[in-house]
Amino acid sequence: MAKKPNTDDILSKIRKQGAASSDGEAAGSSSEEPATPVEKPKAAPAGGPADIMAKIRAQGAAATAKPADDAPVAKKSAPKNPADIMAAIRAQGAGGTAAKPAKPESAAPAKKTAAATAAPIGDLPPVDEMLRQMKTGSIGSATVSAASAKPVLKVPVKPAKKAATADASTRRGFLSWFSAGWAFLTVTSGAWVLGLARYMFPNVLVEPPSQFKVGSPSDYPLGSVSTKYTASNGIWIVHTDQYKGKSLIYALASVCTHLGCTPSWLEGEQKFKCPCHGSGFYMTGINFEGPAPRPLERVGLSVAPDGMLEVDKSVKFQEEKGQWEDSKSFVDASLV
Amino acid sequence: MHHPNLTSDVIFGLGFLYLVQLVMNFFWTIRSLKNDGHCRLPSLLGGAEVPVAMWWGLYTAILTMLTAAHFTGYSSPDSFLILLPDWFKSAVDVSVSDPKYFFAQTIAVFAAIILFRRQLATDTAGWILLNASTMFLSLSLTDWDFRQIVGKPDNVPIVGMLFIVGFFTWLSFKKANENDARLAQGLGPLEGENNEKVLVWPDLVYTELIVMIGLTAFLFFWGVCLEAPLEEPASSVKTPNPSKAPWYFLGLQEMLVYYDPWLAGVVFPSTILGGMMALPYIDFNKKGNGYYTFNERKFAISVFLFGFLPLWVGMIVLGTFLRGPNWNMFGIYEYWDVHKLEALNNVNLSEYFWLYGLGMSMPVPDASDSFFGQLCTIIYRESPGILLTLGYLLLLPSLMAMTVFRNFAFRMGFFRFMVFANLVLLMAALPAKMVLRWAFNLKYLVAIPEYFINI
Repeated sequence: MAKKPNTDDILSKIRKQGAASSDGEAAGSSSEEPATPVEKPKAAPAGGPADIMAKIRAQGAAATAKPADDAPVAKKSAPKNPADIMAAIRAQGAGGTAAKPAKPESAAPAKKTAAATAAPIGDLPPVDEMLRQMKTGSIGSATVSAASAKPVLKVPVKPAKKAATADASTRRGFLSWFSAGWAFLTVTSGAWVLGLARYMFPNVLVEPPSQFKVGSPSDYPLGSVSTKYTASNGIWIVHTDQYKGKSLIYALASVCTHLGCTPSWLEGEQKFKCPCHGSGFYMTGINFEGPAPRPLERVGLSVAPDGMLEVDKSVKFQEEKGQWEDSKSFVDASLV
Repeated sequence: MHHPNLTSDVIFGLGFLYLVQLVMNFFWTIRSLKNDGHCRLPSLLGGAEVPVAMWWGLYTAILTMLTAAHFTGYSSPDSFLILLPDWFKSAVDVSVSDPKYFFAQTIAVFAAIILFRRQLATDTAGWILLNASTMFLSLSLTDWDFRQIVGKPDNVPIVGMLFIVGFFTWLSFKKANENDARLAQGLGPLEGENNEKVLVWPDLVYTELIVMIGLTAFLFFWGVCLEAPLEEPASSVKTPNPSKAPWYFLGLQEMLVYYDPWLAGVVFPSTILGGMMALPYIDFNKKGNGYYTFNERKFAISVFLFGFLPLWVGMIVLGTFLRGPNWNMFGIYEYWDVHKLEALNNVNLSEYFWLYGLGMSMPVPDASDSFFGQLCTIIYRESPGILLTLGYLLLLPSLMAMTVFRNFAFRMGFFRFMVFANLVLLMAALPAKMVLRWAFNLKYLVAIPEYFINI
């Protein structure tokens, strides 16, 4: 397999060709295949797109710079790899840099013919235009009468396009479709927002009530943590005398005070342990390990008239604010 | 509950892993024969001149035997002998299951990468490191607990990511070494020679197309082979144990063990993002622009790699492989025991100061006092930590400017240097707090749970 040319190779090739074209040396050697693109118009579309492009550009450049037969690049009839194509293109660009490219739109057709004799690669017709030319077979004539063919190619295209866009009725028609689309979008997204708002108010709220009864105080013996209501209501019922020596029953919210995960009650270790960042709490709810900055929160607990314990999750009691002294935050086990 | 370390399936599967290593090393031996030249045997073995490739051939032969043993011996897993010895497992477990030791090792690896970059970032050293890690993985997979943690569908990409991080770190240092050698000779960097430029069409586009197709095929294959790690429906009152963030956030989750949520979850992540954006404006070093180098950007690259390797990737590894139930640390060959006990009694600085230092009781805000009065009591209670934090963030930059970073301060100007110094200090705050936690069980420097401000 041939070595792939790297950038250096390409650059050197370009420089060599640029020099050759300026000397005019290549003119003689072009007789190998003097006018391949002209004589084999059918062969061109058969090649890959790269080949077609290269050919087109070679022709265009030949037309702009010099008559076709002494164009420096015409000798490279069918460039095979992209490096060669690039080299060819750049060589032409270099060959024609002397002349400033004339703006095709602004230039008068009369001026064009004059400019075309020394016009650089920048003055080529658009690629799709050239492709169309090539496919319809008119490429032959285009290159034979190279100098004059190009302005002819170009000039009719632009005014035609302008005429199409300048049609007022078409634009207005387009605008009406445009506004209809916007209106449709607005209505759709408005309906979507309304639907979303409706979604916020569900017909049925499957949420446990914030006030509920958890059985009689005798269900919770001293020194126990009940996880019975943790999964359903997010509380532990604790009965202990470790907090300030009094035998109290209270309900702790099962929300870690660090980032809100649900700790697990570890019976063997007698502690609450959070699975997210390792915070640990004593049975009393006081934090002692890991990053939790404050104790677990108590929720309201009281004895209902029927003697059952009643939890009120709508109120919270924080130890660090001294709220655990509040009589609504616990039930004194010695009194019930 | 007993889990067998080896089963027939495991042994057979490991056979393929050894086969892959065998093929890799076979080609490496051929490459070595062409490139590596000869070396002299130690005089004990005759002192003959042998090609370096001989050693690789030897290793390939060992791999061939291992492959054959796994493909033929899988029918009787109980008598299969290619296992990790228990003493090795317990040694590794001890060395990684303590965050102190783990962090010290990540720092050591980081330092080794910087110090031995010339020796490590060579083709042969890279290949040896790759072989060492794949061999470690293959042998470790014979352990049941290791398989549970590494083979979890969640964690498989992280194992892959570790290899990718290793490769790209190695590659960047290899290129930096080449350029540093050239720059020392007075030549320009290799990137200036245009050797690596390719044409967009067709070279680059074709390459991208092929990679795109290959990657898509690989993702399909992966999606078919490994089940999505779905869990039970979410519930606000039930947290999985352990509960892990997505792998790329495990560094942040580890930070949350040491810092309060608003710091570790809000301030530090935003500082990381903002600090990264500020880097181009802080950097005054014009060198190293557009090419690999280490010697011209020693400080910048070392600081970045410190933040990236031990503090980010290291914490992800720790969070993924070493954190188990109740967020306890477990060794890689250790059973995830939910009842593993780890004493983590943590104490705030204010408690140290008032209770142990002065032997007094803590100042308690009086509930009947006004809001302002309570606030003053709280600030008074936490004054040691507040002063320490303010000193860290306000005094240290000036000290740094006068001592170690004198040159930096001079070249950056006041404002840029302050931004730079604070970014460095905030980055150092994580390891500093970690060390304080391990050394003194320090929970928070400033603990104001009343207003959710803890530092």
